[in-house]
Parts: sequence; C-alpha cells; structure tokens
Amino acid sequence: MSKITKGLLSIASILSLAACSNTTGEAEELVQDDNPDKGLETFGETIQYDPNKLVNEGEPISIEYWTWGETDPINKLAESYEEIYPNVDIEVSIQPWDDFWTKLPLSLKGEDGPALFNIHNSQHDNIFPYLAPYDIPVEDLQADFESVDSHVIDGEVYYTDYLINSGNIYYNKTLWEEAGLSEDDIPQTWDEFTEVAKQLTKYDEDGNIIQAGYNFNGDISAIYEGLNYQKEELLFNEDGTANFDNSTTKENFEYLTNLYEKEKVGSKDFGDDSSMSFGNAQTAMVYKWGWFLGELNNNYSDIDFGVFATPTPTEEVPFAYDRYNGESTPGVNKNQSEEQQAVAQDFLKYILAGEEYSVEGALSLASFPSKKSLVDNPDVLENPVLKALSPRVDRLIWPGPFPATVETTATQVMEDILYNGKDIDQALSDGQEQMDKDMENAEFNSLQSSYKFFDELN
Amino acid sequence: MKLETKKNNTKIFTLKNLTILFIIVYFGIFLVYPIYKAFAGSMHDWNPLIDQYDFVGLDNFKYVLSNPLFWKSMNNTIFFSFLSVFFRIVLGLGLALLLEAKITKFKSSFRGMFYMPTITPLVAVSFVWMWLYNPQFGLINKVFGLDINWLKDAQYALPAIIIMTIWKDFGYATVIYLAGLMGLPQDVYEAASIDGASKMQTFKNITWPLLKPTTLFIIITSLISYFQAYIQILIMTEGGPGTSTYVISYLIFDEAFVDYNFGVASAMSILLFGIIGILTLLMFKVTSERGSTK
Repeated sequence: MSKITKGLLSIASILSLAACSNTTGEAEELVQDDNPDKGLETFGETIQYDPNKLVNEGEPISIEYWTWGETDPINKLAESYEEIYPNVDIEVSIQPWDDFWTKLPLSLKGEDGPALFNIHNSQHDNIFPYLAPYDIPVEDLQADFESVDSHVIDGEVYYTDYLINSGNIYYNKTLWEEAGLSEDDIPQTWDEFTEVAKQLTKYDEDGNIIQAGYNFNGDISAIYEGLNYQKEELLFNEDGTANFDNSTTKENFEYLTNLYEKEKVGSKDFGDDSSMSFGNAQTAMVYKWGWFLGELNNNYSDIDFGVFATPTPTEEVPFAYDRYNGESTPGVNKNQSEEQQAVAQDFLKYILAGEEYSVEGALSLASFPSKKSLVDNPDVLENPVLKALSPRVDRLIWPGPFPATVETTATQVMEDILYNGKDIDQALSDGQEQMDKDMENAEFNSLQSSYKFFDELN
Repeated sequence: MKLETKKNNTKIFTLKNLTILFIIVYFGIFLVYPIYKAFAGSMHDWNPLIDQYDFVGLDNFKYVLSNPLFWKSMNNTIFFSFLSVFFRIVLGLGLALLLEAKITKFKSSFRGMFYMPTITPLVAVSFVWMWLYNPQFGLINKVFGLDINWLKDAQYALPAIIIMTIWKDFGYATVIYLAGLMGLPQDVYEAASIDGASKMQTFKNITWPLLKPTTLFIIITSLISYFQAYIQILIMTEGGPGTSTYVISYLIFDEAFVDYNFGVASAMSILLFGIIGILTLLMFKVTSERGSTK
C-alpha cells in the first residue's frame, strides 16, 4: 500500500514538474526596503514617475509577468525596477504564443493568475473581462501617446498601443544594383512598382522564373487591406459587418494576380514562402511588416537589404497609406490581490513615464513608437523600417481588433482565385458569405471612424 | 498460517479495488466527463475562456449542417480516410506476406524498418514531407522529373497528404498482419497443399478469410484515427489552398482553438462521434453477415 502511495506521489510530482513553464531569472531573495530616498530624479513628460518612495510599504513582494516574447522590453525593465526596489521581484514567465491565449485566460479566472501580462489586441474579447483599468489618468496617457482615443472604454484605459506596426517593401540591394537600378528608381506608385519588379525578374531558357521581382507566396492577403484603404474602401461597414465583396477588393486582387499571371514578375509555384525566398536572394522585393526585420537579422544576416514605403495608386497622398496594428502595453489582472495590483500599476507607470520601454520595443520589433516625445529620436530614425514608416505614421488607419475570419477568409479567397482557379466574383461572394456567417454573433465595433482623417472620405 | 493467508488475500483485494477505482476515476475524468461536456456544450454558445455558456438549443447543429465548409470537410474526410485505410491494408498485408515468406531474408531488419515511420512523431514527418513536396527544391519533383506544386494545387494537395499518411502508417498494419499470419493454423495449409491448391487459391480461400478479424480490427481502428486526423493538415496546408484540404477534425480544431466557438466545435464533434459509431456498427454487421453466410 505504501509503495502504491509512493508511486502515485512520484507520478504526481513528475506531472507537476512537466506542467511548469519557462520562467527567466532565479528565485531572488527579497529584502525589506526601508529607504524611500532612492536619490533618483522624477522623470516623464505628462505621465511622471517619482522613484523616491516605498513600494508595497517596503514589504517583500513577488509578482508575475507573462509574455510570449523573448525580446519583450519588459524583461529588461523588470530588472531595473527591481534594482530600485529590492523588496520587489517581477518574475517574467515566457509562454509559447500557441499556448498563451488558452493558458492566460484560464489562469486569469483564478486568484493566482499573473498580476501583469502581455496583450495582443486580437484577443481583446477573451482578455477584457479580466482587466483592471490603468491608474494613470486618461488625459495624461493621451498627452504622451498617440492612438489612446481608440482604447478608451467607458472613460477608462485598460491597455493602449505603445508601438505602431505596419507594412513596407523590403528589397535586396544587391539584386537591385545587378538590375541597373539606383535609389532614384524607388517606386512611388503601383505602376512604377510593376515596372521595377519586371526589371528585377529573371527567367531561365525555358521561360521559368529563377528570380522573382516580387513575391507574396505564403503571405498572400496581407497587402490587400492596405490597398483597399489607399483607395478609400473601408474594411468594415458602419454596422460592423465586413465590407469584402466590392469592386475595390476585386480590382486589388486582380492587380495582385496579374503581377504573377500577366506581368510574370513572380509565380504561385515559385516556392511557398516569400520570406525564405527573399532571405535566400531568390526574390528581389517582398511586402512585410516590422517582424521581418528581426527575421532577416537573425536568419539571413548575409542579405544586403533596404526598405522603402509601400507605393500608392497615384503620387497624391491617399486616404490612408495602410492599416496598422498596435503592440499593446501590458494588462493588469483585476482578480489579483490589491497589493499585487498596486505594484503592477506602479511598474506600469514606471515603464510608460520613461522612454526606454518604447525605444527598446521599437528597435526589437521594428515598430514605430506611439510615444510623442520619440518622434525625432535618432536611434529610432536610424532603423530602416522605422525611417520608412516615420513620415506616414499619421496616415495609418486602425480598424480595431477585428475577428480572425477577416484575414483567414481573405487568404482562402485569394488562394481559391490564384491556386484553385475559382472565378473572382464567385470567390469574393463566397468569402463575404463566410465572413458574415462567422461574424454573426461577434460583438465587433470597428474603430475606423476614430481615424484622424476619416472626414476626408467621400 | 491461516492468518497470513487472510492477510495476503486482504492485500490482494485492496490492490484490486484500488486498481479498479483508479481506472474508473481515470475514465470518468478523461472520457465520460469530456463526452458529457461535449454533448451539453453542443447546445450552448460556449467560450470557456470568458465563462460564456448560454443555452441555444439546436442552433449550433443548424449552423453546422447549413455550413458548406462542414460538408466539404466531411467529403474530404471520407476521401482521406477510405483511401488511406485501403492502401494501409493493401500495403500492410502485402508486406506482411512478403516478410512471412520463407525466401525472405533479414526479416527482423525489414520489420523494424517498416515500423520506424509509425513510431516517428507525425509533426516531424509532416515537416520532412513538406520539404520533399517543395516545388523549388523538393526531392519528389527532382527524382520523378515533375513540375507540381503539390501542397498548393487543389488537385494534388489532399492526395499528397494521403501519400504521406500511408507512408507513415503502413508499418502498423504490417506488424498486426504479421502477428495474424503467425497465429494461423498450419494444419489447414498442409491439407491445402496435399489437395494441390495453388498459392493464389490458398491465399484467397484460407489466408484472407482467416485474417478477417485482423482486417476488421485494422479497418475500424484506422477509420477512427483517420476521421480524427488533423495534425498533418495543420502543418502541411492549414486547410488550403483555399479550403480544399479541410477535414472535419481540422475544422473542429479551427472552431475551438482559433475562433473559440466551443459550442459549434462540440456540435461537430457529436456529429463526428455519431458517424464513427454508425460506421463501426456497419462494419461489424457486414462482417458478421458474411461470416454467417459462409
């Protein structure tokens, strides 16, 4: 009997060990903090942080922060905060993205969930019930950060954007020079882009492509949303339903398929991953968001590449250059104890008042900081992606945290047209039907109308 | 002496009860409760992440049955399952017969080799086959001199996944058939040999009928597992191009863990449960009828 009990206990302990996630740092010995005078200056623009105080009345306290990103700037800032307050331990727990969005809400239901956690706005509906509002006044956040307005819910902010992410064209400089092109040839319009792409395409004796001028394989529908906005076509109707089956979507899908089928600057059969193809110098141009910079630096460091802003239909300033999505500030768990929430709120103020959080994040995620004081920051503007984005940040539109079906269905439709030869009208109509069905019960309200230049819409 | 025996009996009795209790609790938690929860959940608008659980009656079933993607996925599932099972049986039996033949050498090595794909993780196998199918540098196009975009052409994508699945799984059928062949009575074969039966006649009239329970076992277990297959789809095509490789379990995964529509996913699971149940019963019925007519 005792052997069985021991056996069961062993199994239980093995299982509990297996359930553990990856936490960084070692368990720290916390000490009582009796010195409120840290000898540091108050910092921040409107949101100001005075470090000369005791946190949690100097009593030792440990809070958890959950993130999916190894490069999350909070990993570094947690250490500097702990240095100021030796009684505080911020335990950073890195969970894989795929598990994050099932583990986190389930954990937040209880009382032992993380006090702070990384947020992705696509998961708004599942996370919102567990969020505590920020202690920082809304007007202070609005004074220091762009795009706070679209995150105000019943007069409170639960998280906002600290970075703005959008797409650009990445080009291989070596292939560019080989084709006899210079910086002056960087295309401003889509017509010019097509011509440049043609010049960058190479074929073998049988007419097969051996170097693609432009490649969107594996990322097939990412660009169409921006193209629609450029032509004043909104992604959502006023009632929150998807606006997919329309003449602009058709026109843009035709443009993209024509690049392959008529202009022959790429091919649906030229590999299945445009990122890899660009990294292997088989493709001269790709449209990608900020994450691609990290991918190139980490996996394809030999490639000499440049970045230029996404072309537009004409040389006129369009309604919007593209869609953007924000990288969100952390959320505070409303189910945690008052003490834990208080430390979490103080840490939030610490990171939002300073500039390091935004600069570190901007450089590691190649996304433009929404902190107004960083608009001309030289470190930020030195980054090629951010340099390309910088003049356009104002004219990027955020439709809100829309349901996944809008992107997944658009991808399926584009694949149906390109790979399965489906009639474009039928494909768009089926796509619209699928989106309507999927969004029937979704409580989605588009935030397009909060876009700064929304009134320009005809 | 009597006291010791009684003590031993009590120990055995306690261990037996404890084991049974453990099994009951295990199946209760991991089998009965999830099935009950799926039945109940299928009639609710259910998102466990935000504790949403609103009764909607049969609405989820109506939604599922009117969704063209459900029917497309079901057709793909049937095509995928039956083709995979058929070739698993044919290849498995063929190789088992070859391995059982007296002239075959290195039987153990071949047995191990054929079984190796079965024990290799499906995720790893799927990635390797993705590279084999790559239209630019894939080995398959290079070796056979083809120019096919296997996983991005609706005509080839599902067959390509089926080929990979058959390659991975035929070893299982081979080993089961080998066990079946080893257990066949030798006197029947000796009698057939004395009667002058040819190899083909022996196979048709003795081996194949006697292997019927083994075949039935492979068919049922394979059908159940193939109706629930989704990992290779998730990794190799994500249901694409378009929706041409959606199978029912991938659709369930998509509804539950991408869109968090656990109610709709549960309704689909219940329908799948019913279909697998009916197929299994049919299979038993057909086999027992054939058995009784002979």
